[in-house]
Amino acid sequence: MRSAIIGACGMLGLGGATAEATEVKTAILGYTEPDRVTAIEAIVDGQHAFDNGKIFNFRLVYDALTGASATGAAPSSLAQTFTRPSGEGSYRVAPGETPLDDTFRDTRMALSAGLTMPLNRVTNFSFGLYGSGEYDYVSLGANTALTRDFNQKNTTVALRGAFFSDSISPEGGRPVPFTAMPDEGIEKAQLSGDGSKTVMDLGVGLTQVLNRSTVVHLNYTYSDVNDYQTDPFKMLSVVDPVTGDPRGADAYLYENRPDARTKHVLFGRVAKHLGRDIVHLSYRYFTDNWGIDSHTFDLTYRWNFGGGKYLKPHLRYSDQGAADFHRSFLVDGEALPEHASADYRLGDMQALTYGLTHGRIVGDGHELTVRLEYYVQSGDSHPAEAIGVLQNYDLFPTVDALIFQVGYTFDLME
Amino acid sequence: MTWLGKTLRAAGLMLLTGALLGGATGCANLGVKPWERDLLAEPGMEIDPDVVITALDEHIYFSKEASTGGLGTAGGGCGCN
Repeated sequence: MRSAIIGACGMLGLGGATAEATEVKTAILGYTEPDRVTAIEAIVDGQHAFDNGKIFNFRLVYDALTGASATGAAPSSLAQTFTRPSGEGSYRVAPGETPLDDTFRDTRMALSAGLTMPLNRVTNFSFGLYGSGEYDYVSLGANTALTRDFNQKNTTVALRGAFFSDSISPEGGRPVPFTAMPDEGIEKAQLSGDGSKTVMDLGVGLTQVLNRSTVVHLNYTYSDVNDYQTDPFKMLSVVDPVTGDPRGADAYLYENRPDARTKHVLFGRVAKHLGRDIVHLSYRYFTDNWGIDSHTFDLTYRWNFGGGKYLKPHLRYSDQGAADFHRSFLVDGEALPEHASADYRLGDMQALTYGLTHGRIVGDGHELTVRLEYYVQSGDSHPAEAIGVLQNYDLFPTVDALIFQVGYTFDLME
Repeated sequence: MTWLGKTLRAAGLMLLTGALLGGATGCANLGVKPWERDLLAEPGMEIDPDVVITALDEHIYFSKEASTGGLGTAGGGCGCN
């Protein structure tokens, strides 16, 4: 995943200096979910402003993930045995436990770079390239943006576009949707070749200075995603209509998602200077043709102590509605739907993040930041459609995570 | 969607509508003179004051939720679990 945040910031004539300058922001982040995923991510984000007004930026990201990931299969009153995605080996899940594949392991490297150049006193053009690679996934992309200032640089309008081409070649191949997970040592029915996906994003943004202490930013993004979007590692349990336990044979089917997804994202943010402190309030509305919609609020309060020291509490809340094809399980004897996934991330959920960042100036104007946050996600643990023993189990176990980050920002050239 | 979600949705849509209407009708009369940008120029007043935190958080939320994007173009994906 990447965010080609283009031109939304720094376009309000807040600076104006023409001297060459290079700023580098670095951070290392640790992310850990009890009993599930652990990740370490490092990032270097640099920007060099030339004296002719051009700005070159680059970003390098490395992350390593390991741990256990929910497969989508439902818990059962019986012990369950699952074949690993490679087809070699298997793992056993105790009765009542949420099935997790504990062999999840990956590293990713992502590199992006871009150039922003002034076309005239009030218009900027930028373009950039992106590439990332991991064991089974490659993503390549390009983006561009045009921004124009109006009204003495109090108003900035931005037009953005981006295109990405992704390919996936998962361990064990891409299973044919809705075919059964085979026993260990038996090859699964596979789709031929690698999976591919294209993404086209188009966006328009407006940034407006309201007064001496307030800036508003509005963004709309249209995103069109096509081709393979199924998760080749996710499956659904087919349960007995009375007992709720997996049926006797072919009890686990690989999931199947639509090949086309259209997303609309409306985003608004207000930045307000309170004289000493600064508050940012954001709202995002997301909707797509998979039936998912969500409302996300984000609040930060920068509590300035003077001397470059600050504390910044952060609160985020998101409420997401499920995809139309999300199912916690399938029922034996019922017709298969056109698409289905038990991936909890496509389900109804509420997510809360809260935490604190501390920043301080050290050395020659460099900034050191430390961040600690807690993330918790919950959903419908006991859906009304639960059958038999499934009524006794938590079908959406709470997922929580601790996030710890240390960041350091410095200038290479004064 | 929970009652809290519905309440927040209504509040958010009102906030966004107000901001859009305000932006559409009042842009020409809003703003400051160049010499009045002292507070706007302070660290932390950028629309995205922490681009590194934003990038890292978007990766986390992309991996854990189905809704993405907002501040910029969201782009494609990764093999995140």
